Amino acid sequence: MNKQISDMSREKIFSAIQAAKPTITADAKTIEDEALELLKESEFARPQLMSADATEALMLRIDAGLVIGTTCEKISTLDMLPHSVKQFFNKNALPSELKVQSVEPLNKLNWQGITTDIDIVNDNTVGLCWAEYGVAETGSFVAHSGPEMPILLNFLPLYLIAVIPKSKILHYMDDYALIANEMAKKKQTPRNMCLISGVSGTTDIEGVLVKGAHGPEVLHIIIVEDE
Amino acid sequence: MSDKNNYTDANQSNTIECLNISEKRVGLFVTCLVNTIRPSVGFASITLLEQAGCTVEVPAAQSCCGQPAFNSGDDEGTRQIAYQVIEQFEEFDYVILPSGSCASMIKNNFIEVFKEQPGWQARAQHLADRTHELLSFLVDVCNFKPNGVELDGTFTYHDSCSGYRSLNVYEQPREMLSTVKGLEHKPLNGHSECCGFGGTFCVKYSDISNAIVSEKVENVVAADADYLLGGDMGCLMNIAGKLNREGNQKITALHTAEVLAGLAPKIIGANDAS
Amino acid sequence: MQANKPENFTQNVTDALAQPDLKMIIRRTTDKAEAKRSDAIANFPEFEKARAQGQKVKDHTIKHMEHYLAEFEKNALAQGTIVHWASTAEEASKIVLDICREHKAKKVTRSKSMLGEEIGLTHAFDNSEMERIETDLAEHIIQLAGDPPSHIIWPAMHRSREDVVKLFREFHSDPTYSEEITDLVRSARRDLRTKFLTSDIGISGSNFLLADSGSSCTVTNEGNAELTITPPKVHIVTAGIEKLVPSMAHAIPLLRLLTRSATGADITQYITFHNGPKRKNDADGPEECHIVLVDNGRTKMLAEGMEEMLRCIRCGACMNHCVVYKHIGGHAYGSVYPGPMGSVLTPHLQSLEVANKQTHACTMNGRCEDVCPVNIPLPKLLRSLRAQSWEKKYEPLTNRFVVKFFGVLAKRPQLFQLFSSCSLIFMKAFSRNGWIKYMPFTSGWTRNRDLIEPETTTFMHQYKKMKKSESGGS
Repeated sequence: MNKQISDMSREKIFSAIQAAKPTITADAKTIEDEALELLKESEFARPQLMSADATEALMLRIDAGLVIGTTCEKISTLDMLPHSVKQFFNKNALPSELKVQSVEPLNKLNWQGITTDIDIVNDNTVGLCWAEYGVAETGSFVAHSGPEMPILLNFLPLYLIAVIPKSKILHYMDDYALIANEMAKKKQTPRNMCLISGVSGTTDIEGVLVKGAHGPEVLHIIIVEDE
Repeated sequence: MSDKNNYTDANQSNTIECLNISEKRVGLFVTCLVNTIRPSVGFASITLLEQAGCTVEVPAAQSCCGQPAFNSGDDEGTRQIAYQVIEQFEEFDYVILPSGSCASMIKNNFIEVFKEQPGWQARAQHLADRTHELLSFLVDVCNFKPNGVELDGTFTYHDSCSGYRSLNVYEQPREMLSTVKGLEHKPLNGHSECCGFGGTFCVKYSDISNAIVSEKVENVVAADADYLLGGDMGCLMNIAGKLNREGNQKITALHTAEVLAGLAPKIIGANDAS
Repeated sequence: MQANKPENFTQNVTDALAQPDLKMIIRRTTDKAEAKRSDAIANFPEFEKARAQGQKVKDHTIKHMEHYLAEFEKNALAQGTIVHWASTAEEASKIVLDICREHKAKKVTRSKSMLGEEIGLTHAFDNSEMERIETDLAEHIIQLAGDPPSHIIWPAMHRSREDVVKLFREFHSDPTYSEEITDLVRSARRDLRTKFLTSDIGISGSNFLLADSGSSCTVTNEGNAELTITPPKVHIVTAGIEKLVPSMAHAIPLLRLLTRSATGADITQYITFHNGPKRKNDADGPEECHIVLVDNGRTKMLAEGMEEMLRCIRCGACMNHCVVYKHIGGHAYGSVYPGPMGSVLTPHLQSLEVANKQTHACTMNGRCEDVCPVNIPLPKLLRSLRAQSWEKKYEPLTNRFVVKFFGVLAKRPQLFQLFSSCSLIFMKAFSRNGWIKYMPFTSGWTRNRDLIEPETTTFMHQYKKMKKSESGGS
């Protein structure tokens, strides 16, 4: 029944579009070229970064307070991560409870003194995730869903730490989008691609900003120079 | 005729030598509000244009720019009016209006109603290219600097929407007013926000218009100036009318041209007498 | 609060203006939005170039709408998304409800989308056996209050903190007794958390549809879209067909414009691209994914020369900067979409006959067009709708008569001058001390303000006299 409605509507919509613009016909190649041409303008139509170096630009942006609820630090090697996490617990007066994303580089680390497999049931558990990319323009990290990346890990905790390998920090959102466009071409897009720039916030009550609306209130980004 | 387009871009005008203005015929379209309510604005316009070196003519057969019809959606009515405006004014080298909204009507909207009449559309475009709002024309095209004008007091400035947004009128009146001896500018909060006039809007939605102009009046009063100046009679009538209704007789609303032409003391004197 | 009807616009306006603190309520949001947008643009000198690029991206997609729709459908299907098409609001909302029923859903979570409101989803669920849970904080508030939205970005801007305190105490299972805004938000967090995790179906809208991948994109600050979509077994997207862009790289310039224009932020906290159902072995995500592509007047806009309106990315800047909206608020428009963009959209979504008054409630000051991130000529579009109203004679007779009468005079300058002179005599008769407080035929004006007393004779009369005496004297 609904299939019929849907098919009829599809028909109606396409013929209405054709009827509205009888003169415009172009082959797929022409359209694609025109679309690619439009992207050339991005270079002149985006904001200046705070540094030519992507990592530095990202950190400067966060340090300037431009990424809501977010702090950042840089560590030289990954094995320093547990120490940084412990400092995060201390700074926020949290119990040493962590939900670590089950991903190879994080699993290998020595988490002694920290409970690492707590399910996020209360707001005291810290989530730790391994970001796919970082974006300097917006101070973002990117998470891709997958067998080892439950998307909810980025949304359920009140405290979140995201680890970004330095080599994966891009200058602009466009740089990430071009990677995504390639993935689309190869039909390899993950279910979710999340560009996260700060913490969950709302201004819905009298325009006052409150952090931690549904998701994290505190976000700490740790950049690893040498994985 | 090659100079036609050189003068249309306000941003370029400073780099252009403005010669031979006196050889050009300037047609003044006084607009209906000036014609009926405030003739002195018309005379002030002539004075200023002549001081700037123009030869001014005022065609006798003039009426309205067609905004009431256009903004009501009456395209046919607009065309009827546009025909005669085009016929009356297309022979001039420049057509000048002491109103941003009427100038913008001719400059931007006539061509809209002639979409299906290419011949008339071309004539409308030809007219549009030579049509200017008075204050911006004086500065951008004539490089005019008023000299020897005096008026004691303070003024605040309302930027009428059409002039400000469609014709880039902003610096020009301020620049000219800065030469008036004894006159000091006081900033107006929300200077470029609509006053709620909107032509037919203010009678059609009188209460919304009232809410808007009430707020404008609050800002004008807060600016604490002796004069409220602007470049459009519609807005000035609206704000002045509201000021008076609220019992505020301290602030006098004047068209910028009246001040620049030195007519202000006469007008204020006449008001005081009544 | 009952939703107003668009055809009752005049009465809605009267009611709105009679509301004592409405102006304060609106300004508390729009003033901030205006200031923050202005800062954001000042910090983004490339804005004009971005705006030109954004407009071109939308225009390109609209020009090749047929191609991109087909591409989108193909790629969405390839990802395992089930694609539905709906010509009307009713069809769209029926498709959504039927999917929910097929899955025997009891609880449905929804992440704010204006399209959902447009197709009447909220109302459709309220008349069903299913529980609808709005997860955007503002939508949560207006759902509890039973209100229609009053703004497309801040739908609950008309509700004060005190209202929210009352609502949360009444409806939350573990309410806070604090009146601090932070605590109120925490209360909603607690209340909605279990609902997110136990929902059967998650419904979202989409800010962008990517043709090359079949993805839909959600943009939020709260992160409620991901929490709505991820836990349930089924995800349903409802989106207007104009949301298409060729690829993610084409969405980026529009995202730069959208957030700066809407809230003044360089970017929102959460931008997520949803690409169909859970992949094999994925840690989480819905098992089934539907998308309902909705026309509901959009192809009509294309046919009627209103395609520029299809550029709209729903940022709300036009209403934040509209003097009329700022005084009457969103509810008066009687539509999901208020303000300038709403006055152009509603006649196409409903009909011009019911929504033509809104097209006239505009001073044509051009500020909306000035701030529009994709250069939609809103005043021009409103004016062309007025022209349609005039053609169809929706305008009240008296208005038509006045305009016609004035037009008849205006095209005959001699007659016009004569009439002007006569009207001066008439006006003079009502003048006192330089002002007219009342005069017949001008009540629209004099009801709220005085009219300046004119001079004795018209400019043309004085000018002719002057010219005559000049030539006589020489």
